[in-house]
Amino acid sequence: MRWRRALLPVSGITLAVLAWWATSVFVPELPSPWETWQESKIYLLRPIEKRGEMDQGIALFAYYSLMRVAKGFLLGILIATPLGLLLGMSSTLHRMFDPVMQVLRPISPLAWLPLGLVLFQKSEPAAMFAIAICSMWPTVINAAAGVRAIPQDYWNVAKVLRLSRVTTFTKIVVPATLPYLFTGYRLSLGIAWLVIVASEMLTGTPGVGGFLWQEYNSLIYAHILLAILTIGVIGFALDRLMSAAESKLRAI
Amino acid sequence: MPFIEVSGVCKAFGARAARRHVLEEVTLAVEQGEFVSIVGFMGCGKSTFLNIVAGLLPADAGHVRIRGEHVRGIADGAAIVFQNYSLLPWFSASENVRLAVAACFPAWSRAQQEDQSRRYLEMVGLANAMHRRPSQLSGGMRQRVAIARAFATEPDILFLDEPFGALDALTRAALQEELAQLCAAAHRPVTAIMITNSVEEALLLSDRIVPMTRGPAATLGASVGVGMPKPRTAAALTRDREAQRVRTHVVEWLAAYVQPARKMPRLHASKPHAEHGIGVLSEGET
Repeated sequence: MRWRRALLPVSGITLAVLAWWATSVFVPELPSPWETWQESKIYLLRPIEKRGEMDQGIALFAYYSLMRVAKGFLLGILIATPLGLLLGMSSTLHRMFDPVMQVLRPISPLAWLPLGLVLFQKSEPAAMFAIAICSMWPTVINAAAGVRAIPQDYWNVAKVLRLSRVTTFTKIVVPATLPYLFTGYRLSLGIAWLVIVASEMLTGTPGVGGFLWQEYNSLIYAHILLAILTIGVIGFALDRLMSAAESKLRAI
Repeated sequence: MPFIEVSGVCKAFGARAARRHVLEEVTLAVEQGEFVSIVGFMGCGKSTFLNIVAGLLPADAGHVRIRGEHVRGIADGAAIVFQNYSLLPWFSASENVRLAVAACFPAWSRAQQEDQSRRYLEMVGLANAMHRRPSQLSGGMRQRVAIARAFATEPDILFLDEPFGALDALTRAALQEELAQLCAAAHRPVTAIMITNSVEEALLLSDRIVPMTRGPAATLGASVGVGMPKPRTAAALTRDREAQRVRTHVVEWLAAYVQPARKMPRLHASKPHAEHGIGVLSEGET
């Protein structure tokens, strides 16, 4: 039933576009799919053309945003991975820091960004700070859960072979938690991508989010839809990429 | 002084009302080079006992001494083979063995460590499967890796926790003989304690068999020496008179502990230590 597997998503997308079109008939502010295409095709067909600071091909905007996300995300997991492993290994530390974590975790990126701007004075490091601090929690939580889920058997192996702490860590703890870590990384990357749009909107830096906000101010609504769709597609692609890495690890 | 000395070991799990006494005053002495099997029912506390002797689990009371020293953690030169293999799934067979070799002989070069791993994997017939991961090996092959891992550290004490419990009968028989050969071929005399629920397995490998009562509050019965020369074969054991004597003794002793349809207390009254005239190692428990 291969044709059905391909056909069903295609018809789903078609129905969604139809619903968009039908809505645009009744809501005059909403550009129809065709209008959106007409207004946006220059961005899509010339994806790497730079016409001005805030008038660039969509691939360039996406590239700026992705670079910013990569930096913040890497910083986030660089802190989150050892922190999570540590919390997983020590129940004392876990009990100590769990309340702190639970309070910090639900804070919106919009709340962190002003603090970042105050601390760093510039929008780039502030965005990085907001991404890192918002996206690290799933990795911390999954790493800690992964360590706690290590079967007693493996700890026994470490005990019986009298492995040193370092060897136990590198040969048992890290490989055993790797699948959990990647689940954490996938969720963290998803959050990082959510944060970048918000932080670009607030700071007005060039990127998909910055573009979206600028086009809102310039009243070009079709471009808002273009930016929204771009954000969705890239977010989906990132998630798929991480899922592939994750399932490859789980196959071991 | 015995090589391994266990005296008055007690162990309970759980708290207050749910507290379950697993071991009650367990005493055992094993001489150097001796192979002792502890035979008992599933879930009677055999594994708990072995974990305490091996130093994986602390005892509530009593003590364990190996070479006259109190056991704190795994003793020097001790190796353990677990029923569930306990291989690390992200390493190949040879990497699993090499991890143990590297931990045991840190001064060796990498080549020496690899050589040692290869030699022991070849000994258990895994020359062609060395680079496979545990998930790509059958149960018997996995346990062979675990046995190679134990022997590659050249242990003089071997703890075997139902090493063949998860295997089919044919694989089981083959591995039992391999284990006997490995013990015989070892550089140093290997002192071994094996946990098993198979009297035949114990007959094949051990110098002495110690039955364990059914839990809760399990304890060890009188040990029975197995006099036949080693190595033994399963086929010879079926007809051997000495084997028949030991088998009957152990089976009858254990039979007294087969769960009766009614409640438990009757058990202690029918404990058959008197009729064999050998001192029971632990008396007067609850």
